[in-house]
Amino acid sequence: MAHNRQVGVIGEALFAPKSIQQTSLEEALYAVTHAALRDAGLTIEDIDGIVVAGNDQMDGRAITIMMASGSVGGVTRDILSTPSGSEHAFVLGALRVRSGIYKTQLVVSWSGMETDNLSEVQRLSNDPYYHRSLPLDDLSSHALQANVLENEVPQLREAAIELARQLRINGFKAYPEHSAAPLEKVWIEGGKMLRYPITEGMVTPPSFAAVAMVLADQEWIQTHAGKKVAWVHGMGWATETAYLGDRNLSQLTSLEAAAGQAYKEAGLTQAQFDVAELADATPYQALVALEGLGLCGRKDWVTSVAKAQYGLNGQTSVNPSGGAMSFNPVFCSGLMRIAEAANQVRGTAGSHQKLNVEKTVGHGASGFAMQYNTVIVFGREPLESLK
Amino acid sequence: MTIPRIGIIGIGQSAFKARRQDSNYPELVREAVTLALNDCKMELDEIEAVVYSLAPDALLGITNAERLGVDAVGARNKRFMRINTGGSTGISAMAAGHSHIAAGACDVALVAGADKVGECGDSQTIMNKIWDPIYERPLPLGTINMLAMSAVRYMHKYGMTEEDMARIVVKNRLHASKNPNAHLRTPTTIEEVMASRMISWPIKLFDSCPQSSGGCAMVLASEKYIKDRGLDAVWITGVGHCAESYYIGDRMGNGYIADHADAQALAEACQRSYRMAGITDPTKEIDVAEMYSPFSNTEFHAIEAAGLAKLGESPRMLREGHFQLGGPTPVNPSGGVLCTNAIAVTAMVRVAEVALQVWGRAGEHQVKGARRGIASGNGGDHQFFGTMVVEA
Repeated sequence: MAHNRQVGVIGEALFAPKSIQQTSLEEALYAVTHAALRDAGLTIEDIDGIVVAGNDQMDGRAITIMMASGSVGGVTRDILSTPSGSEHAFVLGALRVRSGIYKTQLVVSWSGMETDNLSEVQRLSNDPYYHRSLPLDDLSSHALQANVLENEVPQLREAAIELARQLRINGFKAYPEHSAAPLEKVWIEGGKMLRYPITEGMVTPPSFAAVAMVLADQEWIQTHAGKKVAWVHGMGWATETAYLGDRNLSQLTSLEAAAGQAYKEAGLTQAQFDVAELADATPYQALVALEGLGLCGRKDWVTSVAKAQYGLNGQTSVNPSGGAMSFNPVFCSGLMRIAEAANQVRGTAGSHQKLNVEKTVGHGASGFAMQYNTVIVFGREPLESLK
Repeated sequence: MTIPRIGIIGIGQSAFKARRQDSNYPELVREAVTLALNDCKMELDEIEAVVYSLAPDALLGITNAERLGVDAVGARNKRFMRINTGGSTGISAMAAGHSHIAAGACDVALVAGADKVGECGDSQTIMNKIWDPIYERPLPLGTINMLAMSAVRYMHKYGMTEEDMARIVVKNRLHASKNPNAHLRTPTTIEEVMASRMISWPIKLFDSCPQSSGGCAMVLASEKYIKDRGLDAVWITGVGHCAESYYIGDRMGNGYIADHADAQALAEACQRSYRMAGITDPTKEIDVAEMYSPFSNTEFHAIEAAGLAKLGESPRMLREGHFQLGGPTPVNPSGGVLCTNAIAVTAMVRVAEVALQVWGRAGEHQVKGARRGIASGNGGDHQFFGTMVVEA
């Protein structure tokens, strides 16, 4: 079934103070919402509906949408929440516009740092009988995935370290105020071993951030001239099973499914993008995402990374923002990747804006070893087949 | 542009109980999914997308518990997302499922979930954590005293009595006695309600919903899919949500922005659904209502918000038999939330029950000749409201 209306991203904002101690969560959400609306040239009165995504346990609340609702303008409005992932909030917002029931949507997500122990919060998502007694958190699951990949692909560790270096350099240029160290391969590899084979240098500590995006339908955009628009050409989202023991962690079939859905909608037969913003909580994730998105198969990982084919000047620039390797607000990292991909098309990416960007892809992943995968394809013009 | 019609083709509900120690959480979800798929004679492979209905996962003691439900709903490598708006989650998930199909993302979507509230220990301790940790959590607020304050205000404003509240309980328990899936199915009397233990004045034990365990699932499909296959369906013709303020203090005292006696945001959500469905006079055009009312007093303002009675008139109309089975507009013929509350799916059950009514499949609690009905869900601290019009 073909989708019904075209959706464009017309506004975006990131709120990431260096220290969150002086800003309440409500104030942060208010700030990011207003900034996104300003970027879109709208007021809250122009917004038909809102979708937010937050994590109850990271925020220390039982239904965290309650706290968020007022700050994002939810009072008297239609507001829903997708706690399964920040990227799902974008998908639902876009679906609501495509349905024809809404002209505009505001999408907001944040990554709270209210908890004392993020690892314990993540561990509580294991089933209470079989897996909770294991020290299984996000990082452990990513390490298990990295282990399997290292076992399958010769010289992968060297490629992962080099890719981490490249992404860190991107981040240093894009967001110097947030960018993470180290930048040198020797320190990336040589840092403390957190969960084998992932060292301290290969990941970035969790941070607070809030991100907001404004969506509108084609008819609305056409009657409100002058907007900088990234058109949603395709969306795909899919999930793996929860139980790691039931998965082959070297494969990411849900990402292939999600990319297939998105590319089909976008009318793409090949994955060719000017920019790809992909999930990279570890450099191994970035590699497996490159494959799942159809950009680079594993047999070419080592040589492609060595040649910096996905660097800032490569045919497809991967994570010019630096990605989560450089700045890691855990829960809303997926929506940030989507926002960065949209901004490159809108020409609003700031210091890391690439020239002549026509088509980009944003990828978000959530859960243990990338359980949920979401792929969004953006284009500079509305999709020709639906004009 | 015309909004495409979306049909409900399959419904599955557990027989709700306090405890389901025979089933773990994913098994309980799967039970509802199997019932829904059997209802429409479909296989899991035919489902293209899943919207997962799960309210506070703290009630299950598993964070992001929807992840464990992925296989139970057959979502591996398929579109999948979870919705949470508190108690309204079930109807919000239905709205999200509606958006999936109306947007053209897929032709068939499953909306499913389950809860084990009866096994959570103390739900009010968890519910206290929905409030702001600095200002309102320490009072301590719970969902019972929150709505007891609404009852007091409604009494003051409209003259409702504790006996009026008891009449709601008597009506709904009688209805539930005819519904095999209801949790509390024993009829009661005004005297028994009045004699039950005081929880938070004027709400007594019998004025309160139970803590239920069970699941619910529904299969939605596009009109084209339904017609191409000659399937039987009822239709979602109205969808609306609206939110109120977060802080309870903003609904009382001097300068309140919403009167805690009433349910203004629910009224607006109903109006949004009615506008979409083309309904201008619900008193004439609505045959049946399943209104989310976890405490007896809240059914009055829910009825009024749905436009089935003027403000303050519903206690009198109840006394005259207006909202009971056999009356002009039966409200909660299933027994409602007052008799069954598995929070993650409670609001979905409201839609399921209206769908069964307009389908003519509600069994002993069938409203004769029902062709169009409204369902509602309330979430947060009486903050999020979802509504849906379903018709034959």
